[in-house]
Amino acid sequence: MSVLRSLLDRVEPHFSKGGRFSRFGALYEIVDTFLYTPGTVTPGAPHVRDAVDMKRSMFTVIIALLPALLFGIYNTGYQADPGAGLLQNMQTGFVAVLPLIAISYIVGGLWEVLFGIVRRHDVNEGFLVTGLLLPLTLPAGIPLWMVALGISFGVVIGKEVTGGTGYNIFNPALVARAFLFFAYPSEMSGDAVWSMADELTRATPLAVASSVSGADGVYLLKEAGYTLQQLVIGRFPGSIGETSKVAVLLGAIVLLVTRIGSWRIMTGGLLGMTAASLIANAMAPSFDNPSLYLTPVHHLLMGSFAFGLVFMATDPVSAAQTDRGRWIYGILIGSLIVMIRVLNQAFPEGVMLSILLANAFSPMIDYFVLRQNIARRQKAYARQ
Amino acid sequence: MSVIRIRKGHDLNILGVPEKKLQHLQRPVRLELCPLDFRGIKPKLLVREGERVNAGGAVYRDKGRPDILFTSPASGTISSIAYGERRTITGITIDLDKSDIFEDFRVSDADHSDPSSIRSLLLKSGLWPVIRQRPFSGIADPDVSPKAVFVPAMPTAPFAPDIFMQLDGKDRAFQSGLTLLARLTGSPVHLVIDEKNSSPLFTGAEDVILHRFSGPHPAGNVGIHIHHIAPIRHRDDHVWYVLPQDVARIGAFFLTGRLPVTKVMTVGGEAVEQRQYLGFMQGSLIGDILEGNPVSEPARIISGDVLTGTRRDLQKPIGFYDEVVSVIPEKTGRDFIGWLSPGMRKYSVTNLFLSRLFPSGSFSLDTGLNGSERVMIPFGNIESVLPIDIIPTWLIKMIIARDIDEMEKLGIYECDPEDFALCSFVDASKMEIVDIIRDGLDYIEKNG
Repeated sequence: MSVLRSLLDRVEPHFSKGGRFSRFGALYEIVDTFLYTPGTVTPGAPHVRDAVDMKRSMFTVIIALLPALLFGIYNTGYQADPGAGLLQNMQTGFVAVLPLIAISYIVGGLWEVLFGIVRRHDVNEGFLVTGLLLPLTLPAGIPLWMVALGISFGVVIGKEVTGGTGYNIFNPALVARAFLFFAYPSEMSGDAVWSMADELTRATPLAVASSVSGADGVYLLKEAGYTLQQLVIGRFPGSIGETSKVAVLLGAIVLLVTRIGSWRIMTGGLLGMTAASLIANAMAPSFDNPSLYLTPVHHLLMGSFAFGLVFMATDPVSAAQTDRGRWIYGILIGSLIVMIRVLNQAFPEGVMLSILLANAFSPMIDYFVLRQNIARRQKAYARQ
Repeated sequence: MSVIRIRKGHDLNILGVPEKKLQHLQRPVRLELCPLDFRGIKPKLLVREGERVNAGGAVYRDKGRPDILFTSPASGTISSIAYGERRTITGITIDLDKSDIFEDFRVSDADHSDPSSIRSLLLKSGLWPVIRQRPFSGIADPDVSPKAVFVPAMPTAPFAPDIFMQLDGKDRAFQSGLTLLARLTGSPVHLVIDEKNSSPLFTGAEDVILHRFSGPHPAGNVGIHIHHIAPIRHRDDHVWYVLPQDVARIGAFFLTGRLPVTKVMTVGGEAVEQRQYLGFMQGSLIGDILEGNPVSEPARIISGDVLTGTRRDLQKPIGFYDEVVSVIPEKTGRDFIGWLSPGMRKYSVTNLFLSRLFPSGSFSLDTGLNGSERVMIPFGNIESVLPIDIIPTWLIKMIIARDIDEMEKLGIYECDPEDFALCSFVDASKMEIVDIIRDGLDYIEKNG
């Protein structure tokens, strides 16, 4: 390994300030710190530092996404040919999903590096997460050029125009998905997009549950063969990463144990969703909307509620950034999802829109939490 | 009495904790006074090279507040005066005599109760600088009357000396120091001790209000105590604080009329052989403190603890307020694909490394930054180690934005870099939060 190290050391002067390729310093930094931990020492107090860094933090999110990714690959194969067996399904899924991820990383990565070079800053590890999140929210059969277009929009408009990682208002992966959703609706929703095989089409649970007006959504699901058990396991059509609640739960555990994902946001989301769906249940008999009958458990297990809450809502940058604010933000997302799903029949899946909407509100939520903190501390002085 | 329980924070589990074994250093041949130890003073020399000075004799004073004198801890000859950039005085070296001639301060019993004579004696003896003032952590302004005085007697910083080792045999001096502080200011003196402390020296202390705190570091920091007991409202809201050992020195000075110049400190850290308690003379060079105590190179020598101390070399003295010398290994080399390693031996407050699952003994911590600097991503780990009701992320942003109005509202006057040391420690973006806070305080002190 020392050969590699000495090679890197030999080319370093060219990439550092004053060197021939100093413009491309960002590129050297990626390769160098990817291969070796930085040798930098602390400039002053505190003289010792925690072992945590951004690479480790972001890599942990990737680990949390792995169960959803693996199951997504399997499910993609399973939807194409349910009778083919596990290995065959994995293989089919792999061939379908891997190019999406590769394109997302390559195209998005190129934008990241380009901006890093132009702006002369180091490339941020946050993209590792964005680049994987987007494909997991897409239907497996989406054309590759669309993925490329989507990730470009997400990185450039969703992140870089507002200053890059850390300064973005919206979750870049969701911005990318929203762009694709509205620009190419026929490739992003409807019954036909979820399966790789043309002859197999099947509606997603959400589409089923809102399909017949005047009916009971829970009954419609049962009729279509969607039992709670199946909703948990996830062998049904949907975006690549979202269907298996077991996989999402594993990811949630990783994020909660490592505290990379905020438990306040996740709990707030569950609370908001439960409250809103109980209100909807209470109103159900008076209206002929089948979605009103869906219980909190159904909302939790259907569509990308769980995936969105665990992986998208907890994005630390676009979410509220105060502890109290995170509660409010989570509750807002949970209740908005139910509202959009139930009340707006044009969008049976409201997760993406709810989170983006809450992203827009999060600075305001934080603002009020801050004012509250200031007022509380002024009261503490007065008590002295 | 109720206990204020601190939940946020972290006790650093680092190798090299000093043994409770006290040794007294031999009388050094040379001392150095370092005006840079004091925030915000402009030194004006009162002696010249070659001049003789007694123990307790004035060496320099503050230009801005000429009452504040800085005196020599021992008698000897001024051998050299070192200047840095723009002719700032960086060090005044004194070659010591074989034995001390003490300046006679003529302390009489009458002086013990009169606030103005307590003040003038403390100023004249050079003991005044042991009293510090928040906001800004400078030397207390003698013309100000503080709303409270704090004596933080429960150090929680890494390698910090045990309070009983420091005050052993100084019961009378400590109590009389507390009484003098109460008389000097006429304000409440808050003595803060650990929940488990049951020594009558503290529980029976007179002229003080006793408080108990419990919890991990920084529960022992005076800034945390001030925040919970007498928070600072604005820049003219003054709180004074004195370290317990210095309280005992004030007491001893009034009991004997002689400037007490020795203190108890610790030497700790993985890179030094004997980790112990030392009795030393103020101004001792670190080289003398570490004499006969091998350091395994490459090492970093720090005056103060590893979280808040300053880097010093062997030719420099230990800082005026420091009671710890820490010696830790300097980081060398780079690990191959370190971010991927399971991290059995990596020390972290976060649960991102396997070492959290199998806690085993203390950890070797070197001076590595352990990552590259990135923009602020608020995972919440900064907040998890700051036990005060201040939202650090926003304060940091407002400091960077130079928004004085918001800094004030968000509570910058209550802040001190030492309370934010753990925030810097845990930050995954490797921001220099301590420097940002110091920068904000400097800025607002000048422009606020």
